[in-house]
Parts: sequence; structure tokens; C-alpha cells
Amino acid sequence: MDQPRTDEDQQLVARTQSGDAGAFDQLVIKYTPRLYGLVYNMTSNHEDTNDLLQDVFSKAYKAIRGFRGKSSFYTWIHSIAVNMTLNFLKKRGRRFHLSLDDVDASVQNDKEFLELTATSSPVREADLSELQRRLNEAMMKLSDEHRAVVTMFHIQGMPHAEISKILRVSEGTVRSRLFYANRQLQNYLDEFRKNPVS
Amino acid sequence: MDEFNDNEIAKLLRLKRYEQPPPGYFEDFLHEFHRRQRDELLRQPLWRICLERAHDVMFRLDVRSLASYPAAVTAVLVCAAVIALSSSANAEGEWTLASPVATRIFRTQPLRSFDESAQTHRATVPPRYVLDSVPVSYESTFRF
Repeated sequence: MDQPRTDEDQQLVARTQSGDAGAFDQLVIKYTPRLYGLVYNMTSNHEDTNDLLQDVFSKAYKAIRGFRGKSSFYTWIHSIAVNMTLNFLKKRGRRFHLSLDDVDASVQNDKEFLELTATSSPVREADLSELQRRLNEAMMKLSDEHRAVVTMFHIQGMPHAEISKILRVSEGTVRSRLFYANRQLQNYLDEFRKNPVS
Repeated sequence: MDEFNDNEIAKLLRLKRYEQPPPGYFEDFLHEFHRRQRDELLRQPLWRICLERAHDVMFRLDVRSLASYPAAVTAVLVCAAVIALSSSANAEGEWTLASPVATRIFRTQPLRSFDESAQTHRATVPPRYVLDSVPVSYESTFRF
């Protein structure tokens, strides 16, 4: 997923800081789909995601006067979203209900989807929707920090360096968490493949 | 049987991008955001709203940049201190709307009657008037 142009964001931020609320609306419109994916894949619940996103933008609007541009707006808003989501998950604990949204029909045209279903692989043996459900369950078994890294790297397509800035950890830590999370997901999915009815 | 490798897991995870919220969600999100902001504003106490407005004004005037002129800032502070001190010193004698007003009744009758005024002069002594600091009397001045 490409990063948006930072100079355009800087202009919108400057206009917001000078009192133009419409400029902030443009930032909200621009970043809502991207942040929805991030928060949703960390919470696996649409209502929680909606409430969190509203709080994220509300907090960002209040704090934007103090934003001095040391990082890009992209990094800044993602940091707020990730931190607020991690705090929320700590409070929520293990009490959650999966309310996974339907996979969009456009997935049928996705190159990777076609590859996965066409080639001989364990994926082909299982029903893809069931596999997705199992994958979501496996994701929720990861720790919150590991899930955040997996979401940003695999689903959102962020580079390691960007994730390290957002989480304020070293790139080594990001790679290490990613490695560990991949192993865990692999174990969960292998278990499902060996015992599909469980 | 094959096992899932990293690449396949990565591909499966990437498919999660297609999980979407209900249709129209993103269109309604901004309206919901505005509604929540209005609600939050209505719940705030008046002093906080005033404080935020004042903060906005300060920010627009870029008061922080004035701090780069220490002499100007110091002068303003000194003037403010002097004014504050002088006003507090005069605070006790200062007339305010709440302080009672001393009223004075002007009497229309003269303070002394004509007779009282006449009694100030002794009857035996002829009246003397002072003109240009020279004593004047009705007695003859040509008495050698």
C-alpha cells in the first residue's frame, strides 16, 4: 500500500492549524479506509473499529495544533491509531466477538487469490472462506503487539522502517515479532489442515 | 502433505484487504464524526469552551513567536507589574460603584446672621480696614 504524498498532507495540516476545519475533513476522508483496515484487523470487530476510529480522529483534531511535522502526518496518525487500539485491546482483554465483514467480491479478480486457488497447495484443499475464518481466529490468538505488526506488514503492506517508526521500536524488533507471528500462524493453520473439523 | 509456508501465509493475509465495512460506511463516517464533535462540544463546560477559544486566538496570533523578542516581552511584563502594583495600592481609596457616596446638604440660609456678623467688631473701637497692607482709619491723619 503506497504512502500518500506528504507535501499534500502538510498543506492540509497547515490549513487545519490555521483554523480551516474543512482541511481536516479531507484528511479524515483520505485516511479513514486505510486506518479502518489497520484497526479492524487488530480488533476483528466492526463496531469497536468504528468507535475507535472516531476517537482517533477526534484526538488527532485536538492534538493537531501541537503537530510540528517531525514525522509525516501518515506516521503520526497511524501511531495514534495503533496506540489507542492497543490500549483498547488491553482493557477489553480476551472478551471479544468476531464480527468479520464479508470478503468483497472483487477478491475473485485478485492476482494472488487466483494463484492461491489455481496452484497445488494446501489452500486449494480447503474451502477458502473457511480458511479465512481460521486465519482470523489464528490472528486473534496472537498477542496484540504481534497482531499489530502482522497487520501493518502483511495486510497494509508497510515497510519495516515505517512500522518501527509507528511503534517506536527498532527494525530488529519488528522483524523478530514478524518472524515469531508467522511461525505461530503457520502452526495454527497446519493444525487446522490436519484436523479440519476441529 | 505440504505445510503452509511463509509465502502462502503472506498471500492469505493480504486477501484480508478485501474485508470491507458495510456499504456506505465511509460516506457516513464524516457525518458521524461531525455529529460526535457537536455532541462533545455541548457537553463541555463553558469555561473549557472559553479556554479553548482563547487558546485558538493565541495560536492564530502566534504569541509564541513573541518570545523570541525577550526585551519586548520583558518590557510588557514590567509594565504589567507596575500597573498591577499601582492599581492595588490605590485600591482602598478608589471609588467604585459599590462604595458609598458621601452626600452634603447645602443649606440655603446664611451661616451667620447680620447681627452676629456685627458683633465681631468691638463697639468702642472704630472700624479699621486694611488696604494694601496699610492700616486705615477714620481718624485724622493730619495730626502732627
